[in-house]
Amino acid sequence: MLGKRTLWQNCLLALTLGVVLFFCLFPFIQILSTSLKHQFDWGNPSLIPIKLNLKAYQELLGLGKGAEVPIPETVKRLLDNPLLTKEAKEKILSRYRSTRDVFPFPRFFLNTFLLSVTAAGLSLLLAVFGAYAFSRLRFKGRSVIRRSILFVYMVGGVLLMVPLYQMSVKVGLAGTVWGSLFSLVLIYIIQTLPVSLYMLGNYFRTIPFALEEAAATDGCSRIQALFLIILPLSVPMLITVFVYCFMIAWNEFLFAFVFLKQYHDFHTLPLALQSLFVSKNAIWDRIMAASMLTLSPVILCFVFIMRNLTRGLTEGGVKE
Amino acid sequence: MDISVEQRESRLGWKLIAPSIGVIGLLIIYPILYNVYLSFFDVKLTGANLFVGFANYERLLKDTAYYSSLFTTVLYLFGTVLGTTVVGLFVALLMNLHFPFRNVARTVILLPYFAPVISVVFGWQFIFDPVNGIYNHVVVEMLHLSGTRHNLIGDPKTALLVVILFDIWKHFPISYLLIISKLQSINRDQYEAAAMDGCGPIGRFFHITLPEISFVLGTLVILRLMWNWNKFDEVFLLAPNVETLPIFTYYTAFTGIIDQGMAASISVINFLILSGLIIFYVKKILKW
Amino acid sequence: MASLKLKNIHKRFGSVEVLHDINLEIKEGEFVVLVGPSGCGKSTTLRLIAGLEDITEGEVIINHNVVNLLEPQHRNIAMVFQNYALYPHKNVRENIIFGLKMAKVSRDIMDARLEKVAKMLELQDFLDRKPAQLSGGQRQRVAMGRAIVRDADVFLFDEPLSNLDAKLRHQMRSEIKRIHRAVQTTTLYVTHDQVEAMTMGDRIVVMKEGVIEQQGTPMEIYLKPSNTFVATFIGSPSMNLMDAKLFPEHVEIEGQRIHFKEKIQRPDFLLPKEGLPIKLGIRPDFFLDENFASRGGSLAKINYAKIDLIEPLGFDKELDVQVGTQSLKVRLDLRTTAKEGDTINLCFDMERAHFFDIKTDKNLFIHPPIRPQA
Repeated sequence: MLGKRTLWQNCLLALTLGVVLFFCLFPFIQILSTSLKHQFDWGNPSLIPIKLNLKAYQELLGLGKGAEVPIPETVKRLLDNPLLTKEAKEKILSRYRSTRDVFPFPRFFLNTFLLSVTAAGLSLLLAVFGAYAFSRLRFKGRSVIRRSILFVYMVGGVLLMVPLYQMSVKVGLAGTVWGSLFSLVLIYIIQTLPVSLYMLGNYFRTIPFALEEAAATDGCSRIQALFLIILPLSVPMLITVFVYCFMIAWNEFLFAFVFLKQYHDFHTLPLALQSLFVSKNAIWDRIMAASMLTLSPVILCFVFIMRNLTRGLTEGGVKE
Repeated sequence: MDISVEQRESRLGWKLIAPSIGVIGLLIIYPILYNVYLSFFDVKLTGANLFVGFANYERLLKDTAYYSSLFTTVLYLFGTVLGTTVVGLFVALLMNLHFPFRNVARTVILLPYFAPVISVVFGWQFIFDPVNGIYNHVVVEMLHLSGTRHNLIGDPKTALLVVILFDIWKHFPISYLLIISKLQSINRDQYEAAAMDGCGPIGRFFHITLPEISFVLGTLVILRLMWNWNKFDEVFLLAPNVETLPIFTYYTAFTGIIDQGMAASISVINFLILSGLIIFYVKKILKW
Repeated sequence: MASLKLKNIHKRFGSVEVLHDINLEIKEGEFVVLVGPSGCGKSTTLRLIAGLEDITEGEVIINHNVVNLLEPQHRNIAMVFQNYALYPHKNVRENIIFGLKMAKVSRDIMDARLEKVAKMLELQDFLDRKPAQLSGGQRQRVAMGRAIVRDADVFLFDEPLSNLDAKLRHQMRSEIKRIHRAVQTTTLYVTHDQVEAMTMGDRIVVMKEGVIEQQGTPMEIYLKPSNTFVATFIGSPSMNLMDAKLFPEHVEIEGQRIHFKEKIQRPDFLLPKEGLPIKLGIRPDFFLDENFASRGGSLAKINYAKIDLIEPLGFDKELDVQVGTQSLKVRLDLRTTAKEGDTINLCFDMERAHFFDIKTDKNLFIHPPIRPQA
């Protein structure tokens, strides 16, 4: 029997494993730790906070009372000026109110969530039909299409950055919020569609043809067979693909940065976090807490679809 | 109703794939071509573009910043490809051994890969923070390797190292995953036969394991090259001063003196190189 | 119930023609078995009838209607697949009534039919189970149930028993026959197993390389094979084919002359003087040990068969024997006491022997080369 180890080898193995796991997990622990520390504790190398600080989380989730930002005397005097219109006064006041709510985490969360769900849903919908077509139906040009999809999915986002931006400028989408959001959804769809097609196609191919033939003799058309037989059997893979697309969109930074930079209220989490980091409100505990909160849904998804996803990735190819 | 089964199937096939092809064509194929078109123009954000022929390319090829960016990219690719593959292989071999809680360990090490870049880059920033970071604490206060605290990320030269380390940390899990799934498919009998033929563990690695996984390793190297050739977000977010080609393209296109025509011509060159890699991958690795 | 007719069917995949001019007619309520080695085109034939493949040339006619361009779902046929093709996500009940649902049959009729079928197949206790929770035999019955419940015009079976173990296969054979007798639906049953063909079919169609070699009742096929392929394919162990020479009054094997005793056995066509080289076919089962053969009969005899090997099977024993340079398989009963290495004399009924043309492999008595001159 191979693989019998001596005590010494066991110790070495344990040590190596320890190092590997530490390497993987340390940044996460560091983030969690810092998010719970007070400012005076930051320089302390210990990972356990001296005094637990939940303020960052409270602020981000809007649980605690937002700190009232005092309006400077000079501004107060300015506001008393009767010559100022009501609108102008509002404008000045709102500047102070908006700093009160420096990082509306729930809002960014919702933005990202809606954007990701829309893109993932549409991508999945297109992929279901497309993957069914090129994995189950015989038609001329099928193998060419299958290969082209593989080719296309290797073309990364950066290469398309300039032309896509120019295109949306030309058709007037980049000028408005909704146009920009629409462009982003489309972009997220194409970033995930090739992989979705590939993963789903490979999965469909594992379902015996005889099932569909049985359905045909039972009186189903191809489309009915797809919906009544193939899709119910593919539920785990559908979820996997959906979550995979969702995660790609959830994590995407470059295009969000290009398209949504100027529309602060519509920032996605990656964008919001980045602007928080470079802004004057950059405070480690808040950044780390925001990081943790951004991380959490992904970890949930990760635990949820772990088994299928690793299989899908190794069998169906991967994309970053 | 007077068409055959095959014709009907073919029509349905085209109908179902058409939306996907439409979307891909409009938003991937067309932009690639449009990009080539743009690279011959002085692109104005407002108003008509001006045809300039190869002027963008000429300027680009005379630009020393471009070459330094190219050099940075090569270093970045070398470090990350080597790093992710070697670490991935090492961890895969490790995780292929039997030990308690192996399944937990196997899951945990995938975490960096699945974590959003944005949620971890700032943690890494903090680790290397000159004031509060654990790195400087260990190097300066504990090991006394250096007298002064360094801002590793602040300096483009050292920042490149951090960016490479980050990429290895983030992406070795996918290498590991692909390698271990191959490792698990190697028949145990082979090892037992080799052991009886007098092969030690190291001999077994070189004579059985390595030949079996060489295809996966080749695939990983080429895929990592292609992916990292376009890598933007993690480099930009962790250290915007490390100007690999994607970052350089972004700066050219969207910051300072906005020059999207030039950016387009960088993209065209990048795309040509990428296509070369893809064709190599398809012909030599996938062997179509 | 319906009749089924295949008229001059050709099927090509690309440039490869896999079915050459298939003609077949199945009467209402008939149970026809299509048998042949794998790759002979029998499954393709079935799939053409079901509408799962296109017909390159020719016509499929169900109930006097040409259905070539009808999609499977509109042909009103039911098919039982080799791997059953049960829907894994549906339980037994849902599997069985799925076809009825698609046909939008009313709830009452659906329930009534389900009940009847479940009873017939003894599936009442399993209706709520998923296919994965069933044994092979139960799955097979669900697949049957799904076909029966639809009240289809034609049943198609695609090697439905090939995944069962020997005992279960035997049991299901009789069960399928029993059910057919009960529902009387026109059936085409495809198999590569000649035992299934022999035991189940009202009629057998033997196929090889896309051509129908012979069709007829099981006994016709067994007793009057029209060529060497059918002769050796049907029956186990296979028919012996010996090199021999045919003369008007006798046949010569390895220098032994075996005379025709009755007029009826003689060839009624012209033979060359030096004898016509042929293959003489005799089934192993039709040999008798000379010591136990009744003398009165008109038996022919092959002498000096040397026994190479004896395989006792209980009541029977199978012997490999050598006659001159040729080996034969012989099945004798337990009375034979000869041992390996011994020589025995074998008797057989000349009426059970077949004479095959060595070039065309055809049975000379069915396809005589030249008609006799008056």
